[in-house]
Amino acid sequence: MRLRNIWHDFDWTLFAAIVTLSVISLVEIYSATKNSSIEHNAVFRQLVWVLIGVIFLFVVAAIDYHTISEHIPWIYLGSIVVLIYTLAFGKTVAGSKSWIVFGSLRFQPSELVKIVVVVAAARYLSELRNIRYATIEHILKVSLVCGVPIILVALQPDLGTTITFLPIIGLGLLVRGIKPLTVAVMIIAFVLALPVAWPFLGKHQQDRITNFVNPEHDLKGSGYQVYQSKIAIGSGGVLGKGVFKGSQNQLGFLPTRHTDFILSVVGEELGFAGVAVTLGLLAFILFRSVYTAQTARDELGLFVVMGVFGIYMFHVVENVGMVIGYMPMTGIPLPFMSYGGSSILAAFSAMGLVISVRRRRYVN
Amino acid sequence: MSPRDELDLLRSRVSIISYLVAAILAVLGFGFWQLQVLQTSHYWDLAERNRIKEILLVARRGKIYDREMRILADSRPSYNIIFIREGSRHSPEETISMLAAGIGMSHEEVLQKINRKRKDPLYQPITIKEDAGVEDVAFVMARAYEMPEISVEFQPRRLYREGQLAAHALGYIGEATEAQIQNSPDLNPRDQVGIAGLELVYDSVLRGKDGSRHVVVNNSGREIETLPDEVPPVAGNDLYTTIDLDMQKAAEETMGERVGAAVAVDPRTGDVLVLVSKPSFDPNLFAAGISSADYSVLRNNPNNPFHNRAIQSMQPPGSIFKIFEAAAALESDAISPLDHVYCRGSEVIYGRSFLCWEKGGHGSVGMYEAIVHSCDVYFYDLGKLLGIDRISQFSKLAGLGRKTGVDLPSEIAGLIPSQEWSRRYKRMKWQPIETINVSIGQGQIGVTPIQAAYAIGGLVTGGHLKQPRLVDPEQLRKLGLEAPEVHNEQYTIQENTVATIAKAMWGVVNDGGTGATARVEGFDVAGKTGTAQVVGKESYKKGIGGNTEDHAWFVGFAPYQNPEVAVAVLIEHGGHGGEAAAPVAQAILKAYYKKKTGHFKDATADKVAAIMQSARPR
Repeated sequence: MRLRNIWHDFDWTLFAAIVTLSVISLVEIYSATKNSSIEHNAVFRQLVWVLIGVIFLFVVAAIDYHTISEHIPWIYLGSIVVLIYTLAFGKTVAGSKSWIVFGSLRFQPSELVKIVVVVAAARYLSELRNIRYATIEHILKVSLVCGVPIILVALQPDLGTTITFLPIIGLGLLVRGIKPLTVAVMIIAFVLALPVAWPFLGKHQQDRITNFVNPEHDLKGSGYQVYQSKIAIGSGGVLGKGVFKGSQNQLGFLPTRHTDFILSVVGEELGFAGVAVTLGLLAFILFRSVYTAQTARDELGLFVVMGVFGIYMFHVVENVGMVIGYMPMTGIPLPFMSYGGSSILAAFSAMGLVISVRRRRYVN
Repeated sequence: MSPRDELDLLRSRVSIISYLVAAILAVLGFGFWQLQVLQTSHYWDLAERNRIKEILLVARRGKIYDREMRILADSRPSYNIIFIREGSRHSPEETISMLAAGIGMSHEEVLQKINRKRKDPLYQPITIKEDAGVEDVAFVMARAYEMPEISVEFQPRRLYREGQLAAHALGYIGEATEAQIQNSPDLNPRDQVGIAGLELVYDSVLRGKDGSRHVVVNNSGREIETLPDEVPPVAGNDLYTTIDLDMQKAAEETMGERVGAAVAVDPRTGDVLVLVSKPSFDPNLFAAGISSADYSVLRNNPNNPFHNRAIQSMQPPGSIFKIFEAAAALESDAISPLDHVYCRGSEVIYGRSFLCWEKGGHGSVGMYEAIVHSCDVYFYDLGKLLGIDRISQFSKLAGLGRKTGVDLPSEIAGLIPSQEWSRRYKRMKWQPIETINVSIGQGQIGVTPIQAAYAIGGLVTGGHLKQPRLVDPEQLRKLGLEAPEVHNEQYTIQENTVATIAKAMWGVVNDGGTGATARVEGFDVAGKTGTAQVVGKESYKKGIGGNTEDHAWFVGFAPYQNPEVAVAVLIEHGGHGGEAAAPVAQAILKAYYKKKTGHFKDATADKVAAIMQSARPR
């Protein structure tokens, strides 16, 4: 591998979309935090994370994804060790022991572990040959590969991040091929598991689900947050109130506005136009990934990119749905937009993987 | 399946998944379209309501003064603790648990306050604690960040400086009821309005117009800026009443804890100088939102402190009625004042024996002696001679048995019987024997204290009936406000009749009569006592252990020539009028006289007094 190859056939269009989103994100994170005494320098930290993220993107894009796949067993085991370390010595934030602290830096390993799991699952799925449908054994095996890190994250307990792993298995199996009957059985099993799992959920998780099913149930707590988010977005109108001029944002009515509800800030200050641009860019990134998957040279490339697509499609649908009350509230950030170093690094690295697959799309 | 075919199969599945995701994203995009394009004005309003808080600037209620510009009711600053449910990030339960103990209330009390207003719109503040203390206010302000839904509201609060004094005249205020709000477009929920007394009658005069200020607040309720659209509150108009604080105090102190009423009016103008009803209540209790414990104490008092006895207690007048009967007789030319009747202590009329209160009899009495010594036999004869209709006709003309029209709520008419009344309401013929009872103010007859003062004042001023009022309508007209109509009346009465009656009433007080206890040295007081038996109900009252003691009455006026004050005192179950009621009248008139002469506290005053003394009739 030669370094100058990095620039060869690099997907500049995708990169431009990511950079544009990052610019919108930085402006609105600044708008959301400039009056806050605690988070007032969030925008500078985010800028640093984005710059590091760009480096990660280029480094991952430069490496052949086959090379990553070859080394994935060791990387995977390393990730498990890091997750166990986090469970043992991590820092607890908002009830979840999901952070590792290096001096003044905080990092959430589970975010980067997603990418590791994508490659691990892709390698396993791509090595199944000459089958039309995955068998129960295949399903159990791929679930085991993904399941170990999922359980370690669930133990933190970080429900939001845990469920973002699920589309890797789901989409992977759907693409690999699965009998409709098996799908039906899995859906029924999931529905039946809900009441069994209910008592194990935390109080605020139960509340979030209750409030989603019945939004008028309680306008406090998570219901209150979504209500304020809808007010922010709705009051923004077509063109928005102007950057730094959203009252819901500036006066603090919007909850966690620089992280989970950053799209509400965009909606209030930049209006439907700003939302359309943001969602358009996110959709572009997603469908560019789909295109990359379809033009991938081999099955490994296809599964790697579809794994990335699965994760971020789920992030986008859940976060965007949440801010307008279409989806229950979870702490899932909006990729490239929400404040947070770990998720930025993970998203940029994931895009590096996509670009890596695209660069090697032509069969030599 | 070749690797190539297999890859194609996978790709086709990828396509299907991507279409599904595209569809989902389209739905989400539509969600934004709906919020931001279709419903934007709705959410704009909600955002504005989040951002802008209206602060009510409560108008000061007008003060109430006595006739010498002394304050009876004014306002003092106070603070309420209020709860606004809209936009609260806590459930009411959470809010209560954070709040209740800190402001010295139980969880249940706070919950009760909230539940009572549960149906109100969410933005409507709920008052949790009225007239909160400094500690409560400090507790709430210190927690403005944790509990932005709880805030402190400034409210001028009514202060009745004299406590219970003249409570029935002043009345009290309270939160507007739902019915009041619906009837009056300028009333808002939580507005303080008059509930009783002058506060109710002149509510529109006293009540100001609240203003408002809009401020921009953040999510913790902190005010960021004030918008320039402030509407300042307009204070209510002050009310100048005719009450005389000194006379009122004198009356209330003398009455003490006894049950009854006292009224003093200026018969020349209709000014009500004194209006007492006992037992009373402290209207300040209502100003701070009366507690249910305080309220039930008042409610369960068997003598009902809310009953304004001066205008709502109708009792047989006893011997004070003899004045009107005597006047009726003179006016109908049935007798001459010099006609005498021989009193043996009892008399048989219509086959029944009627007793005089003086068992030994008064001997031969003319009208003067009959009034001075309150001879019953004389008036039995007079009643028999006149018949019920002539008595009733004159009494009504003189102002008894009908509302005086005083500017207080819920006055009652009293009762003066007649043949027609008996036919219409009792559906039986009037029995002449009943006239004998009525002629000494007993039986089926009832007057209120204010009627008695009104009628006596009218009689001794030559038939000039001035409608009693506590507020001169002229002051309202000057302010351009609507003033109640005043109905002054005049009936014809011969000068001789007035002179005869007045002289006899002077004798009651000053010539060895039954009302000597009303005498004020230097001031020519005239009057008449009354002792009304609590008859008819006697057996009933015995059954429930009620009080069968007689009602004590006194009516009077002063000075004897050119009357300036007319009084009526009723002490329920007080015993003899001369012993129980006349001293109250004396206290009222003494207070009046003290002021009248107080301006000349030197030799001249004594000289004036001496001259007045010598001018006394014999």
